[in-house]
Amino acid sequence: MSLLTNALINFAVFAALAFGGGLGTAWYMIEAGSRLSTRTFGPWTSWTAAGRPEADPYTRAHTARNGLLPVSSTLELTFRAKTDSNGSRLTSACDYTIVLPSTEAAWWSLAVFDGQGRLVQNGAERHAFNPQTAMREPDGRVAIAVARDARAGNWLPSGRSSRIVLVFTVQDAALAATVHDGGQTKALPEIQRAGCR
Amino acid sequence: MIPNLPFRPKLPRWMSEIGWRTLAIGGLLGGVLHILATFAAPLVSRGNAYQQLRAVLPLNQMVVLPAPSSSKQILPYLQPDVLYAMCRYELTGGPVSVTAAVSGPGWVLSLHTPGGDNFYVLPGQQLRRREVSFLLVPSGDPAHARRAGPTDTQVASPSTEGLIVVRAAITGLAWVAETEAVLRKSSCTQVKR
Repeated sequence: MSLLTNALINFAVFAALAFGGGLGTAWYMIEAGSRLSTRTFGPWTSWTAAGRPEADPYTRAHTARNGLLPVSSTLELTFRAKTDSNGSRLTSACDYTIVLPSTEAAWWSLAVFDGQGRLVQNGAERHAFNPQTAMREPDGRVAIAVARDARAGNWLPSGRSSRIVLVFTVQDAALAATVHDGGQTKALPEIQRAGCR
Repeated sequence: MIPNLPFRPKLPRWMSEIGWRTLAIGGLLGGVLHILATFAAPLVSRGNAYQQLRAVLPLNQMVVLPAPSSSKQILPYLQPDVLYAMCRYELTGGPVSVTAAVSGPGWVLSLHTPGGDNFYVLPGQQLRRREVSFLLVPSGDPAHARRAGPTDTQVASPSTEGLIVVRAAITGLAWVAETEAVLRKSSCTQVKR
């Protein structure tokens, strides 16, 4: 190989390592997170130090870049799901069922957003359920249907946006401490796909 | 002893041209860029929550925001089943007196720095007193500590500006007006020096 080819190859590898590797991994750690800053339970992912003054640099960058205003994760945890429990991308073309067990948490909320964090447009202007607004089953569980068209019971419209994100907020200091310290916790609700059109 | 494999992977010829210095310096620079980009992201990000709210919130005044809807959403991923009262505070002109209602489950009073750090949080609980009041003072300013009366509760802010957020859970459409009325009792007023 000629000297020029050799130099070009070395320059390309250098640029890929420095810019692709350096900036690419930074972007990934800030946007998607890793085990250093997030914990994942099935389809749900939470930034465990969100809102805390002692949060790690990835969490701080994630919060700032996405325009988030989280309450400290010492009190409240926010779990985000972009896939169902089988790992398929959440989309408004499919219907989903989420069953929340009878929970002792002080307060929770399940909301649906589009892929950019915007509320999904729907005629009912219904975007979330919490313990006060959701109907309970006789055994205390709460079943929520995320679907484009109206359903009986707790129906959360998923609108016409292609990708959707489910956000489950739990206000429970004991759970927050367990998750932050890496302990095991009760399973979070499964997101079951009920069907697609 | 290395077994005789039927197939030995052969690297492309151009890979043998890569020098170890290229790998070492490229990797090192990649690491430096990774660290710089991570620490710079919160500083250069124009989309952070405080920057976005700065344009819509008056200074040292509590504002009850309209219920979040698909056409009126001030921040991404902001919980939609709650009402918000927010105050953008600035402490250089004096401490700020804060009164807030935290009426029950789902209600939260939180104080944030411009960087998004939530340095104080108070959740609403059923048996707790429903209204709290305190003086928000700059951290490390002994003048305010001396001036405060024995009954004044003080909260020290690590930054001279930031956000006070009162979040009220909506318990149903029929209670929105009532919830909003309780939320309107929250205030944030600068106490002149």
